[in-house]
Amino acid sequence: MNIFLLNDIIVFIFIEVILVILMLISEYSVIKILKNWNFSITTSLQYSLEKRNYLVNTIINFTIICKIILFFFFIKSLSELSNVVPGAMCIAGVIGANDYGEVLLLLKIFIVFMLGIWLIVNRLDIKSKKFIYIKPKYFFFNFILFLILFEIFFEVLYFVNVPLKVPVFCCSTLFKADTLPFGLTQSNLAITFYIIFSFTLIFSYLKKIVLSFLINILFLFISYFSVTYFFSIYIYILPNHQCPFCILQKEYFYVGYFIWISLFLGVFFGISSYIIESLINKKITNLFKYSILFNTIFVLICTYFVVIYYIKNGVFL
Amino acid sequence: MTKITNLYKIYNENKQNEFTALNNINLEIQEAQTIIIRGKSGSGKSTLLSIIAGLCKPTSGDIIIENENIAKLPDINISNFRNEKIGFIFQSFNLISGLNTFENVMAPLVLKKIDKNQLEKQVTQALKIANIEHKKEQKVENLSGGEKQRCAIARALVMNPSIILADEPTANLDKSNSLIFIEMLKKFKELKKTVIVATHDSLFDNLEFVDRYIDIKDAKIE
Repeated sequence: MNIFLLNDIIVFIFIEVILVILMLISEYSVIKILKNWNFSITTSLQYSLEKRNYLVNTIINFTIICKIILFFFFIKSLSELSNVVPGAMCIAGVIGANDYGEVLLLLKIFIVFMLGIWLIVNRLDIKSKKFIYIKPKYFFFNFILFLILFEIFFEVLYFVNVPLKVPVFCCSTLFKADTLPFGLTQSNLAITFYIIFSFTLIFSYLKKIVLSFLINILFLFISYFSVTYFFSIYIYILPNHQCPFCILQKEYFYVGYFIWISLFLGVFFGISSYIIESLINKKITNLFKYSILFNTIFVLICTYFVVIYYIKNGVFL
Repeated sequence: MTKITNLYKIYNENKQNEFTALNNINLEIQEAQTIIIRGKSGSGKSTLLSIIAGLCKPTSGDIIIENENIAKLPDINISNFRNEKIGFIFQSFNLISGLNTFENVMAPLVLKKIDKNQLEKQVTQALKIANIEHKKEQKVENLSGGEKQRCAIARALVMNPSIILADEPTANLDKSNSLIFIEMLKKFKELKKTVIVATHDSLFDNLEFVDRYIDIKDAKIE
């Protein structure tokens, strides 16, 4: 069996290639704009660049939104692949099937974050009337495009190297308690999680751009371990089942999607103010309220399973 | 004031079928002036009005209206600018069929979040100025040519714009309705509106209240 003949993979790669082609077409205009843009003049070339800018914006906006949706389709495709890859019970087995999987997943998450930042910068640029952020916006697009080309390269490497005959290891062997960060125990990890969450709320409320950036990065890191090693066992109701991916499956009512999406959105809005300020030197503080909202939703979902378990059983796992 | 400098509009630039619609237009229009732009079909009158209204972009040059170069405004801003500052009367009226006169005139106000009483007041006032209030409940497809014209005028006036543009406003009207429209132009002048009419209708020749006639020939001002 060839992995490239699976429906999900065909659809995924086909859409990915179309989006990259659209981005490369836009890149031709982006280079022209970066080279010749001068908003203060009213020459024929400048007006044609302004028109081209609208076209490019529309294409890039479309491709970015598709790329973000495609990320979730990628996760779904990996979930489907777990039925094909021997030994894989969920995405953990498929992702860990070769050396490229985890790098690819992290790269994809990073790209989705960057695409989100680009959308915000683009919005600010259009609202500015005089397109004052057009150059940093398109330089940033070039950086993202470079990452996307790199991502394609990794995707090919990853899919080519997924073994379909040799069994892979899955959650039970991939994730062990001794990999907890800073030598934390499960209960200490949960306490750290709630303390860091409190700080994200405080810094977001106080609109501290740098501190919020740092604490949200730390929160993302701690949350990954907390969900995997603490909260997930209350979702699975199995003390040894520590997997960040099985919660994405139907058996657990796809709750993993709500958990990870709310975490990513919360962290995204928490860190984006700092990145935007670094990129275009503009202070944006109205995104912190979304960070507070999504981080709180994330924590509430996670906490819900622990509380329900305790109410039902009178003990913690 | 409206100031147009070194304005060019070239369709299909650098292609075999390249066509210059406006060639180095320079123009200054003071506030509350009534201007008639005359010229044969294809001379560039409508293109000039469309560019002033921000409906299309020039190939090069400046169009400064109330200190804003509208050719440089992003699409979203140009739409707001047009909505607030410019009333456009089209040759074929461009009314929304299926809606009645009142609803058509109300259309530009929908984008503005104003309360119902204010909205009704503004629409009624515009209908009164255009002398079409008595037909406010009537579907626009059932109006006569002259009535459609007056409905279009009311719609152009409803936002209380400082500039009114009319592109061949009498092309679809008989003589008596055309004369009614010319009378309406006097009213606009009393209301201190800047009015720019593009026409090739000889009824507009030698009108005493017109401040200036501009003749366009082969994409240039003569």
